[in-house]
Amino acid sequence: MRQLPTTGGRGVRPRTTFRLAAALTGAAMMTTACGGGSGDSGEVTIRFSWWGSTERAEITNQAVDAFEKAHPNITVETESIDFESYFDRLSTSVAAGDEPDVITMGGAYPREYAERGVLLELSEVSDHLDLGALDEKALSNGEFDGENYGVPTGVNTFSVVANPRIFEEAGVELPDDDSWSWEDYAAIAEEISAGTPDDVYGSEDPTQPDTLDLYANQHTGQGLYSPQGGVAIEPPTVERWFGLTTGMTDAGATPSASMTAELAAQAAPEQTLLGQGRAAMKLAWSNQLAAFREGSGDDLVLLRAPGETTAQGTGMWLQASQLYTISKRSEHPEAAAKLVDFLVNDPRAADFIKSDRGIPANPEIRAHLEGDLTASQQVEFAFVDRMSGLVDGDFVIGPTGSTESVDLLQRVNDAVLFGRQSPEQGAKQFVTELKNAVS
Amino acid sequence: MSAIGELAALRRTKSARANPSPAERGDNKAAAVFLAPWFVGLALITVGPISASLYLSFTDYSLLDPPEWTGLDNYAAMAGDPRLFTSLRVTFTYVFVSVPLQLAAALGLALFLDRGLRGLAIYRSVFYLPSLLGASVAVAILWRQIFGNAGLINQLLGVFGVNGPGWIAHPDYALGTLIVFNVWTFGSPMVIFLAGLRQIPKDLYEASAIDGAGKLRQFRAVTIPLLTPIIFFNLVLQIIFAFQAFTQAFIVSGGTGGPIDSTLFYTLYLYEEGFGNLHMGYASAMAWLLLVIIAALTAVNFFASKYWVFYND
Repeated sequence: MRQLPTTGGRGVRPRTTFRLAAALTGAAMMTTACGGGSGDSGEVTIRFSWWGSTERAEITNQAVDAFEKAHPNITVETESIDFESYFDRLSTSVAAGDEPDVITMGGAYPREYAERGVLLELSEVSDHLDLGALDEKALSNGEFDGENYGVPTGVNTFSVVANPRIFEEAGVELPDDDSWSWEDYAAIAEEISAGTPDDVYGSEDPTQPDTLDLYANQHTGQGLYSPQGGVAIEPPTVERWFGLTTGMTDAGATPSASMTAELAAQAAPEQTLLGQGRAAMKLAWSNQLAAFREGSGDDLVLLRAPGETTAQGTGMWLQASQLYTISKRSEHPEAAAKLVDFLVNDPRAADFIKSDRGIPANPEIRAHLEGDLTASQQVEFAFVDRMSGLVDGDFVIGPTGSTESVDLLQRVNDAVLFGRQSPEQGAKQFVTELKNAVS
Repeated sequence: MSAIGELAALRRTKSARANPSPAERGDNKAAAVFLAPWFVGLALITVGPISASLYLSFTDYSLLDPPEWTGLDNYAAMAGDPRLFTSLRVTFTYVFVSVPLQLAAALGLALFLDRGLRGLAIYRSVFYLPSLLGASVAVAILWRQIFGNAGLINQLLGVFGVNGPGWIAHPDYALGTLIVFNVWTFGSPMVIFLAGLRQIPKDLYEASAIDGAGKLRQFRAVTIPLLTPIIFFNLVLQIIFAFQAFTQAFIVSGGTGGPIDSTLFYTLYLYEEGFGNLHMGYASAMAWLLLVIIAALTAVNFFASKYWVFYND
C-alpha cells in the first residue's frame, strides 16, 4: 500500500505494544457515533480527511476555506495524516463509528470499504453532486457492481519517470517510448549503470503491484485481478517477471537486493534513488513527477512504460489518483456531497489544488487550469493527454483483501532478489498467498 | 529494596497481619480512597479492553463489519500460519539474545560507575539517556540512517577498506542490528543495578577482605548473591519489555517486518494483521497467545527464582 500514488510525506507513528491494540479494540466495542453539528438551525459541521504532506494540507485547507465562504452554513473540520498511518487510523475510526463524513481513498480501498457497507452510494446525493461533468473513464474507478461509491480527484497514469541528465552523463539516448520492450528497458538500465559512478543506477527495482498488473495485462490481456473479484495473474507470468528483475540486479542495472530492501522501507518520493538524483529511471505514477523533480533538482520527464511490443497491446490505463467517498453514516450527506462537488467541479477549489491529486477529471476545470501551469505540471498534463489516447487496459479494481498485495509482493520480491527463493518458487508463493488474501 | 523484594517481604509478614488493629483499618480506608482513581483507570482502560479483546478473539472481525462469532477458528488458524511461527522465532531470538546481553552490559557499567567516580551523576545520566530515547521514533529513524547501506557505520568501515552489508536491509543482519539496539538501551536496568549495589553492606566486603578474598572472589561471593533480587527484577521486567518491542522494528523495516520477515516481531505481525489486513479477530487471538506466553515465562521465572535468588533480610 506504500506505493499507492501519493505525494504525501512518509511519516511514522509511535504506536506500542499489544496493550494498545487491546485498548483500541475495546474502544471499538464501546461504539459511539459522534457526528458534529446541530440539525435544526441549518448550521452543520462535517469532517473531511485525506493523507499527505503539509503542502497538500495547506492548499486543501485553502480550498476548504473557499467552500465555507460559498456555503456559510457549513463548517468543515479537516484532518490530514501521513499516508502510512492513514488507513490504519481510518479502519480504527470506522470501527468506533467515528469516521469523517468525506473520506479520501485510493486504489482498492473504496471497493473494500464499500463492500463492507461503510460508504454511501452516490446516486443518493445526486442532487448535490454532479458527476456528469467528469470523464467516464475516470469515474469508473469508483464504480463497481454498477454502483458509484467514489469521485475521482483526478487522473493519473503509470509511467517511467526518467532523468535526462543521467542519461546524458552515461552517453545513452532517451529511448523511443512508443516501441521499447522490457528487454530494452533492462539493457538501457544496465548501460547507464555501467556508464555512471558506482552509486548511480540505471533503474530502481521496478517490482510493485502496479508494474506487475501492467506486465500481466501486456502479456495475457488480464491484470492482477479478474473483474469477478478473483486473482487473474498466473505463476508463469510472475516467474517471467522475476526472471527479468533478477537479471537486472545481477547485471548491476538495478541496485543490490539489500539496497532495494532498504529503499522499500522509505518510499516517499524524495527518498527514492530517482528523487535523490541517483537513478535514471523508475516506474511511478504521473502525479508524483513534481515531487521527484523537486527531490532530484533535475528536469525529469515522463516516458510511456515499456512493453508495446507484446501482442496484447499497451496495457496502459488511467487511474484516479485518489477518490473522494462519503460515509454511509454521515449525518449530513448533502453537505458532504456539496463539498465533494465543490472540490472536483469548482474552479475556486481547483485554483488551490491544481493537479496535486492528479489531472482533474472535469474537462472544464482542466481548461481553466491550463493557462497557468508550472513546467512540471505542463509535462504531466501533456503526458496524460497523450496516454489517454492509448488506454486499452480495462482497469480492474482489486477486490476486498487485495490491499495486502503490496506487503506480500515486497516480501516475496526480497526473497527472490536475495536468492532465498527461485523466481519459480517466488511466483508460486505470490499467487497462492494473493489468492488467500482475497478469498 | 526492589519492588519484588518488597513483595516477598510482604508475603512473609502477611500472617502477622491477619488481625489488623483499628488504626490499621483506618489506613486501609485511606488507601482505598487514594487507590480509587487508579482502579477506575484500570477497569476502564485496561480490564475492559482486555475482556473485549478476549471476546473478539473468538470472532471474525474486520473492524468495518460487526464481529461474527466463529468459536475457536482463530486459534485453530494460528496453528497453520507459517508467518506466526516466523514471528515467534524472531521474537524469541530477540528476547533470549538481547536481554542477557543487555543485563550484562548494564551490570558491567553499574560496577564500573559504582567505584565512586567524579561526576558520577553526569555519567549516570549519559548512560541512562539511551533508555529514555530507545523506544522513540526519532532514534529509530536515526538508527536506520546510521546502519543503512550508505550509513555512518559502512562509511567508517569503508575507510578501512571493508565493504559492509546493509545492516538493517539484509535478512542475515537485520535482527542482529535490532538486538544491538536493544542492548544499547541498558540504562534503566543499569540505574537499578547501581541502586542495588549501594545497598550491599560495606562490612561484608571488609569481612571478606580480611578473610583473604580478592576482587573476583568478592564479586562472586558477595556482590552477585546480594544482587540476585535486583537481577531477578530486571530479568522479569526486561523480558516482558522485549516481548512487547515494536517501535524499532516498525520504523526500521517500514512497518513490514522485512526484509523477508527477518524482523517480524510478534507485536508487529499482530499490528499488521489487525490494522493493516483488517483481521482484528485473529489479531486479538494473537494478543492472547502473547499474554499466555509472557505469563508462562514469568511464572517459570518466579518458580526458578526460588533456587537462585537470595533475599538478605
